[in-house]
Amino acid sequence: MHTWRQRIRPEQIRELSLIGLIVIALLIFGWQIENFLSARTFNRITSSVAIVGMVAIGQTLVVLTRNIDLSVGSIVGFTAYFVGSQLAANPGLPPVMAVVLAVLTGGTLGLVNGLIVAYGRVPAIITTLGTLAIYRMLLINYANARTITVDSLPSWVVELSRQTLFAIGDFAVRPLFAITIVAVIGFQFVLAYTVFGRRLYAIGSNPEAARFAGLPAQRTVLAAFVLCGMLAGMAGFLFLARFGNITAVAGQGIELESVAAVVVGGVNTFGGSGTVLGALLGAFLIDLLGQGLLRWLGISEFWRDALLGLLILLAVASDSVILGWLRRVWAAPALRAEVSNEG
Amino acid sequence: MQGSPVLEMRDISRRFGSTQALAGVSLRLYPGEVHALLGENGAGKSTLIKIMTGVHQPDSGQILLDGRPVRISSTLEAQRLGIAAIYQEPLMYPDLNVAENIFIAHAGRGPLVNWGKMYREAEAILAQLDVRLDVRQPARGLSVAAQQTVEIAKALSLQVRVLIMDEPTAALSAHEVEQLFAIVRRLRAQGVAILFISHRLEEVFEIADRITVFRDGRLISSAPRADVTVEQAIRDMAGRSVEQLFPRRHTVRDETLVQVRDLGRQGAFHGVSFDVRAGEVLGFAGLVGARRTDVGLALFGIAPADRGTITIAGQPVRIAHPRQAMRHGIAYVSEDRRGLGLSLPMSIAANITLPTLRRYLNPLGLLRRPAEMATAEEFRRRLAIRAPSVEVEVGKLSGGNQQKVMLSKWLNTRPRLLILDEPTRGIDVGAKAEVHQMIDDLAAEGIAIILISSDLPEVLAMSDRVLVMREGRQMAIFDRHEATQERVLAAAMGQRDAA
Repeated sequence: MHTWRQRIRPEQIRELSLIGLIVIALLIFGWQIENFLSARTFNRITSSVAIVGMVAIGQTLVVLTRNIDLSVGSIVGFTAYFVGSQLAANPGLPPVMAVVLAVLTGGTLGLVNGLIVAYGRVPAIITTLGTLAIYRMLLINYANARTITVDSLPSWVVELSRQTLFAIGDFAVRPLFAITIVAVIGFQFVLAYTVFGRRLYAIGSNPEAARFAGLPAQRTVLAAFVLCGMLAGMAGFLFLARFGNITAVAGQGIELESVAAVVVGGVNTFGGSGTVLGALLGAFLIDLLGQGLLRWLGISEFWRDALLGLLILLAVASDSVILGWLRRVWAAPALRAEVSNEG
Repeated sequence: MQGSPVLEMRDISRRFGSTQALAGVSLRLYPGEVHALLGENGAGKSTLIKIMTGVHQPDSGQILLDGRPVRISSTLEAQRLGIAAIYQEPLMYPDLNVAENIFIAHAGRGPLVNWGKMYREAEAILAQLDVRLDVRQPARGLSVAAQQTVEIAKALSLQVRVLIMDEPTAALSAHEVEQLFAIVRRLRAQGVAILFISHRLEEVFEIADRITVFRDGRLISSAPRADVTVEQAIRDMAGRSVEQLFPRRHTVRDETLVQVRDLGRQGAFHGVSFDVRAGEVLGFAGLVGARRTDVGLALFGIAPADRGTITIAGQPVRIAHPRQAMRHGIAYVSEDRRGLGLSLPMSIAANITLPTLRRYLNPLGLLRRPAEMATAEEFRRRLAIRAPSVEVEVGKLSGGNQQKVMLSKWLNTRPRLLILDEPTRGIDVGAKAEVHQMIDDLAAEGIAIILISSDLPEVLAMSDRVLVMREGRQMAIFDRHEATQERVLAAAMGQRDAA
């Protein structure tokens, strides 16, 4: 009794349909816009997805536990500026140390979020709205109206966004994008095959049941926030590598983009279901639509935010409506199978 | 007789799924009469109240108000007809003051609040009840007794004619009960018909003019108080029909596994002492509010005890967290499958292995999914869980099958003491019989079982001994052969041994 219906679950349909939507968007834009399916577009989208996708991994971990992290944009900005200024001051800093510094900086900021949410029992949306502003203020204070420039950075940093790691035809894969893909695969694995991953789902889908099962809920939520901070720190480093010029407003708005990616990617906002891969696909679709509509209809940059908002609303609505419908369609044959098993 | 009834329920029936909650019940409420309703858990009292207040509709039968047939389609309609109910836990708006709470349901008083008038009228109503309460005080922080008074005042402000009081005294002190009864007598004198539901027999016999007993959704007896004795009332409540008595095997072993002495938790229960031996089923009987579940939660560390000792296999232990309880071989299958027990969007396998994930790690620290599947498959076969595969979401299963997944999850922790809290509530007869069979099998394997159940015939059929609780206190422990429905009920209602 292994039909495709049993092998593919409604949640996976979500990811397949995202791929379908991406293909459809590519076809429409490719047909309507001259030179859309070019190496340049690919490069632009992957560079942007590299950063948002990295943040979205952490956001997924947090959202799975029924929480949210709105401070990620500030963490990205703070880390980008902080690591940038350290590299400018010590150009000899080894690349590994720079990455470790970025991850630790982000992790520390995430730790603060996690402690307040998990142990202080302050709702995550309030906590991280507060730290969103506070971390940004720390950055503004630290930056003191100075800008980090490309010229002040060691060349290997900037090269990360220009080098070609390998190419598929005309499409060059940059190291930045490759790093994010590796991270997505890694965390997809963590969610599927580790105790920690399973606990994230359990705590998000039914906190009381998790408590009765003796799961350390507070520690797990704390860990999710710390990891989210670390990944945002890593994204800060990627941000630095991509743009080179960093001001005190760096990374602003990434919180919205990451939440949009997660929600469009099918992670349930009430926790308990969703995958990192879905979030990456969500980030990809959003950026693709943004780029495409920008060039096709000539909409302004400001419309992009509205587009994000619209996509979030559509995704949440389809979550309850479409997924509910899919579940019913799936449940019907499952029940029939049950009956026939009995008979 | 006091003239004609204000409210008459005529031949009311109501079914929920396979349960006949009410079967042809007729009841008359007269003005100026306190009518007490007695019955065991699930006798149909709540269903009747819900029909009277418009929460449920009867499948058949008639409701007459002042002799005229009425349809009570909603609680608002019930209120309009002058029928109101107050409960053990009053429903207050804690941030509104007393006067606002009293008048919250009033419509048609214009769009603006006339504060002065509202305070004056609230004071007048409270004075009518001879209650002194600051009408400007917020409801938050009022005692339960004071909140009930506010509820009664609210009902009075709506010209109540039938007042239903569901377990109003359960959370009150003796003094507060006296005050409440003074109010009840005053309402009776004013011609209000009162339906009074309580598990405290002495109170019922003190306040009621007429006593009606329900059992299995039927009216068993109804007579003026003077013609009823306590013994007779208990006899009428007991004697529940038993579908089929489960033939328990004798599986009790000599070894005492768990010793509990003088266990208590502030504000919940106290003075609970018992032993459970390997292979023994110790039943916990009691009526609603007996606090049996709190004892289970204390043993499992969810709401730890703050008094008394627990000894497991001769070792005194402290249990402050479920993890500690699990380490000592205790498992707790909760009554609330959806809320406390299962993660509905997760698969059967993931639910079963959740408390024991560490067992499924390979040397690299990664989960061995095939091993998880194998465990789940094993339980699916053993407990006959009906599902197309163990990867199916638990939320898609029927109640009985969810119950089995819950049980699998906890059996997989390999418990020595299994606490089953209402394991058969809300599942159908067939699944119930399977659960009973399972309990018997588990006891035969040497697992000690605490069976908390509000289904008295079930407790009596399945238990080797029965511990009876009432309002947080242990009333008695009966051996299997001494435990009759009458004796257990009498203890649960705070009566001396009636048998």
